Amino acid sequence: MPSSETEVRTTATLPAEVPLHARPAGDFVRAAAQFPADISVAANGRRANAKSILEILALGALGGTELVIAASGDRAAEAAEHLAGLVPQLG
Amino acid sequence: MGRESRNGFVGLVLVSHSAAIAEGLAELVAQVAGPSVPIAAAGGGPDGTFGTDGGRVLEALREAVGSAGAVVLMDLGSSVLSVRAACGELPEEMLARLRVADAPLVEGAIAAGVTASTGGSLDEVLTAAQEARTVAKL
Repeated sequence: MPSSETEVRTTATLPAEVPLHARPAGDFVRAAAQFPADISVAANGRRANAKSILEILALGALGGTELVIAASGDRAAEAAEHLAGLVPQLG
Repeated sequence: MGRESRNGFVGLVLVSHSAAIAEGLAELVAQVAGPSVPIAAAGGGPDGTFGTDGGRVLEALREAVGSAGAVVLMDLGSSVLSVRAACGELPEEMLARLRVADAPLVEGAIAAGVTASTGGSLDEVLTAAQEARTVAKL
């Protein structure tokens, strides 16, 4: 067990016409919840727990917004990579 | 954490004084949470009036409480009383799979529905609903 956990950070951009609301937000949270890592998403100067739908909705991320995804803990790199791959495909 | 395979997803029961609120919210939650989560709406009084219908609430509880259980969310006042009364009609083994959430109806239902859709356990879904009390909107 590593004594200090490094944060894995990556960015991904929402499709131009898909805000992180309703079904896309639910799809994102379901994907994040599959991973044990702590995952956050930042946009518009706010930061949300990727596994909390209410925090994700409160980001108010419109289509085309760049999201900063940060993960730490177990399988962090895999989680960040998976979510970064998912974001441009939401819809 | 409850991500291991289980027989079904935790369900939701939505109780409101308005049929339109309960049914509209059920549609909204289904949109965000996807089709896997059982959702039963019990809104309005008998004859389409505003109010609550204990019989309909009881039916909704029976409908939503599968093997994984269900979390009940309600709006105000007599909705709470109707849920309590309906719970009094249910056998112990069914009651053991029900949790009544002290949470805002809309936000709590969205949070609970999405958590249920991830395969969350009954208590994880309850916690998600009740956390809606403190998540900032602005």
